[in-house]
This record gives sequence, C-alpha cells and structure tokens, in this order.
Amino acid sequence: MTELPIYNKIFVILIDLIAIWLAFTVYVNNPKGKLNKTFLWMTVFMFLWVNFAFLARLVGRADLSIAETFLHIAWFVTPLFFTALYFLIIFLLKKEKEYQLVTAGVVIVGISSAFVTGFTHWIVAGTKFVNEILRVVYGPGMIPFLGGIFFIICATLYPLFKSYFKEPAGERKKLEYFIVGALIFYLANLIFNIALPVLYDIARFYFIGDYSAIFLLGFTAYAIITQELFGIRVLLTQALVGVIAVLLLSQALTASSWGDFSWKFAIFLFFIYSGYLLVQSVVKEIKQRTELQRLYEEVDRLSRAKSEFISIASHQLRTPLTAVKGYISMILEGSYGKFSDKAKTPLENVYKSNERLINLVNNLLNISRIESGKMEFEPQISSIEEIVEGVVAELKITAEKKKLYLKWEEAKTPLPKLLLDQDKMRQVILNLVDNAIKYTEKGGITLNTQILNSKLQIQIRDTGEGMEKEELAKTFESFSRGVVGTKLYTEGAGLGLYIARKFVEMHGGKVWAESEGKSKGSTFNIELPIK
Amino acid sequence: MAKILLIEDERVLAEMYENKFDEAGYETDLVFSAEDALEYLKTKKPDLILLDILLPKENGIGFLGKLKEIAGTSQIPVVGLSNFDDPETKKKAFQLGVKEYLIKTQYTPQELLAKIKKYLE
Repeated sequence: MTELPIYNKIFVILIDLIAIWLAFTVYVNNPKGKLNKTFLWMTVFMFLWVNFAFLARLVGRADLSIAETFLHIAWFVTPLFFTALYFLIIFLLKKEKEYQLVTAGVVIVGISSAFVTGFTHWIVAGTKFVNEILRVVYGPGMIPFLGGIFFIICATLYPLFKSYFKEPAGERKKLEYFIVGALIFYLANLIFNIALPVLYDIARFYFIGDYSAIFLLGFTAYAIITQELFGIRVLLTQALVGVIAVLLLSQALTASSWGDFSWKFAIFLFFIYSGYLLVQSVVKEIKQRTELQRLYEEVDRLSRAKSEFISIASHQLRTPLTAVKGYISMILEGSYGKFSDKAKTPLENVYKSNERLINLVNNLLNISRIESGKMEFEPQISSIEEIVEGVVAELKITAEKKKLYLKWEEAKTPLPKLLLDQDKMRQVILNLVDNAIKYTEKGGITLNTQILNSKLQIQIRDTGEGMEKEELAKTFESFSRGVVGTKLYTEGAGLGLYIARKFVEMHGGKVWAESEGKSKGSTFNIELPIK
Repeated sequence: MAKILLIEDERVLAEMYENKFDEAGYETDLVFSAEDALEYLKTKKPDLILLDILLPKENGIGFLGKLKEIAGTSQIPVVGLSNFDDPETKKKAFQLGVKEYLIKTQYTPQELLAKIKKYLE
C-alpha cells in the first residue's frame, strides 16, 4: 500500500463523520422535504466520491486494477453530485417549471457523463504513478466531459444569481449560503482538480478539491435547516448522539474477536436507532412549540384586529348617532317649529333609544381600549366626595322619574383625598348607580362612603330585584366572555359593570356585588386602597 | 355679532350646528376641509374656531400646526369637536393649543352652545 500522509486520513475520517452528521440532521429535519431528500443524495454521492478517491490512493500500487476501479467509481459519481446540486438549487428556488428544458439537459448530460466515465475508458483511460502519486490518465473524452460539467455548473449558477439579485434582502441571506458554499467548491475543484494537474502537472493536492465538497454540504445544510425553525437543542442532541455513536463504533471496530465485535456492533446499531428516535422526538417537540407560538401570535393578531375594528366602527357609528341626537333634541327644543303634543313622547323615545346606542358605542370603545391595553390611566389628587356628589346630582332626575329615592350617606368626617383618575372613577360610580336604578322598581338607592379597614369603601345599596348566587359571580364579567345572562346583555348593563370593574382595578381596588337573593335588593361595593 | 368658523366635513352635522348657532344669534361660516379653513383664515378672523379632527386630507392636528403660521390667528380660541376619541390625538391637540376637546355624541347642539358660549362673549 502507498503510504498516504496522515493528515489525509484524518481529513477523510473527519469529512465522513461530518457528512453523515449533516445528512442525518437535514434528513431528520424533514424526511419528506424535496430539499432534504436531494441533500441526502448529494451527501451519498460526495461520500462515495471522496472515499473511493481516497481508497484508490490507499490501495495504490499494491493493486493497481482495484485502484483503477475505485477511481472509476469516484469519477462516476462526480457528475451525479453536480447534477444533485443543480436540483437542490432548482428546488430551493421553486423554479421546477421555469427550467424544465434546462433540467432535461442537465439530467442527460449528468447521467451520460457518469456512465461514460464509469463504464468506459474514454474519459478515465487508466492510472499511472508520477512521483509516487497515483494519477489519472485522461482519455480523449476528457474535454467533452469537462464541458458537460461546466454546463451543469452554469445551469446551477444562472438561476441562483438571477434570483439572488431579484430577491429582497431578507430572502437573499438564504441564497448567500448556497452561493458561498457552491463557489468554494467550484473554485477548489477548478484549481486543485483541473488547473493544477492539467496545466502544471501537480496532482498531490487533488484531495483539497474533493474534500471542499464538505464546505458546500455544510453551507447547504445550514441554509436548508434554517429555512425551518431549528433549535440549537436538536443540534446538541445530534452532536451528543453522534459522539456516542462514534465511540461505540470505534469500540466495535477495535474488537478482539468476532463475538466481541458482533455484540458491540449490535449495541452500536441499537444506539443508532434509539438516537434517531430521540432526535426525532426533540424535533417534534420543537415543531409543536413553534406551532404553538404561531397560534399564539395569530390569536394576538386577531384580538388586536378585533379591537381596531371595534374602534373604527365605533367612530363611524358616532357620526349618525350625533346627527340623530342633535336633530331630535333641536326638534324637541322647538328649533324647527311647533310639533303636535302627540309627537312629543315618540320623539323622546327616539332620543332615549339613541342615547342608549351612544352609551353602547362608548362602552364598546372603552372595552376595546381596555382589552388592547390602550386605556390610559391619569390619576390626580381628587376628592371622592366631589365625584359622588356629581353623580348623585346627575342621576337624581332619572331616579325621580321612576319615583325612586337616591340618597347619599356622607361620612361624618371628611374622607382623605386620593389619587384617582377622575373621569374613570366618575364613570364607575355612574355605571353602578345607573344599574341600580335600572333594576329597582320601588324604594330607592342609597350611597354610602366611609373608611373601613383602612380602605375607602363606596357602597351602592338598592331595594331592587336582587340576585341569585350564580348571577352575582357573573355580574362583572365582560359580555365577550359569553357568560352574562341574556337579560343583562339586552339591557346593555353588562358592559357598564365590566368597565366599572376594569377601572376600579386600574386604581388597585376591587368591586363586588352582594345580595341575599331574589327580590331582596343588591349591594355593590367599591373598595379603594388609601395610599 | 360674534362669528364662529366651523370646520366640519360631515354636512349633516355642519348644517345642524349652523342651525343652532344661527338661532342663538351667532354668525357661522362653514368650511369642509382644513385646506379651505387655512385659506379662509388668511383673510378673515372669526371669534372661535370649532375644529373637527378627522377631515378628508389634512386632519385637525395638521391644521393646528399650520394655523400658527398664519398671522393674527394666535388669539382665536380653538375648540376640538370630534367623535375621534383617541387619547394620543387628544393630547396632541391640547399641546397644539385647543381650549377643549369635545366628543360630539356627548352633547346636543344646545349643550355644545352652553360649553362654547364663554369664548364668544
């Protein structure tokens, strides 16, 4: 046997290991993917090419005919490797249809070159030793062969560069890996496998050309894998499985006896199988997580779209509502002349219904803001008594119309001033009192403000319908959760209470309802911290 | 007679407010876009500007910015009158000098009049 430099042996072993690892990684990543399958073929071809070229040199002078056969195999595989690379690029760019004719040409050239090289002496005529180095004796077909390879290279690079300059910057990155990998490979081959041996008769660096294929595989693998989300965990798992597999294999190969070898090799095979399952399960888990993440983002997007829709729709709704409100109010004020007494009540009813719609739109807007996190909280030192006083004054007329009383039991000593968002706190109390008036037919509503357990408590007590336990729990839920009863929904009060709860929570307080049961009245409590 | 410039692209609303202001004895000039309003203000000086915020091309915020470039307008009070109830926009409008930012649906024309009367005395 010819003594090959030790680094050459190390290179081959390293390249083989890396190639197996890459092929495994890419294939497991997506066994059904066209790209992944093509990559697997590319790796197989490279594996055969590099190893048979190496083996030919290893066997060398000892058995020249075997060396020649090995070289034929290596050369046979070479055009197939270039062809596989062409397919990889075409699949990556999704240009199968556009380049049908070129593809046919590449397949014909690739396969015919392979067979002519492998099975005739037309291209690889024989072998000889020059300065102790095994050399190929080129046949007359060498020039057409190189021409064919050159054609495949051009067919590969043309769509690659064409797409590269057309793609947006983000997409370009993926192609860059291929371009870098392919250029290193082509260049190394051109220099070490063609230019140096043919022009300068230097063949001892042939292996650099052969082995440069690993760069191509590396870059390509990276590009394929990063197309899909691929975690570092998978790579680490694979690396671990790979290292243990290599250790087990080397143990098997250095076994002292056949018996020893077979059980060690069995362990190795078993490990490879379980390692495969392990990696697959990790990939599966990561895919599931990616899917979850995607779903989460989708839900988030939909939720924001919903809020935005409500917001825009509400603004649009407000314009006609303003017109109805304005014109009806002016008709009622007599701006457009006298109208019959009979028309007064219907007009007032239209006005009231319109007010309810306005309220509903306001509530929808508020909810959309609360849910999209756009609701701003603007606290300032304020007196709760002033706010309660305002609300009582505002709703007194509504209560009186229903012949209800509306009382406010003030605390004996003035309450401390608090940091409150006045508009929101006013809205809270207004909503609760308004709700109480709505559900009370006789008696009335009593407001009470006091300090209780070092907290400010506002109580709104009515003599109305009261609530059952299940109802109590649902009172402050948003209608969008679908739990508020139809009655609350049709009355439009469900929204107001939900908003009240959200506003109170913004103040760091809480709000709840109590009732002894049906027709026993309800009490709504607001509790605010005193800071 | 005090004069109000009403910048409002919704004609139904613009006419409604005009009716009310006429009734109350104010002169109302209507314009339907910020561009027209800026053109108007180069020659005429009303006592109050009622400004809608969502307008066809230039919006109310853009109008407020350009208003400062027109001589003799700095003393004219501007009241925002819009159904666009967006906290950010509101904040910007106040920074650009509106006296108030009123939500249209919350007021009848009569109530609106009560709100703006103080600027017309």
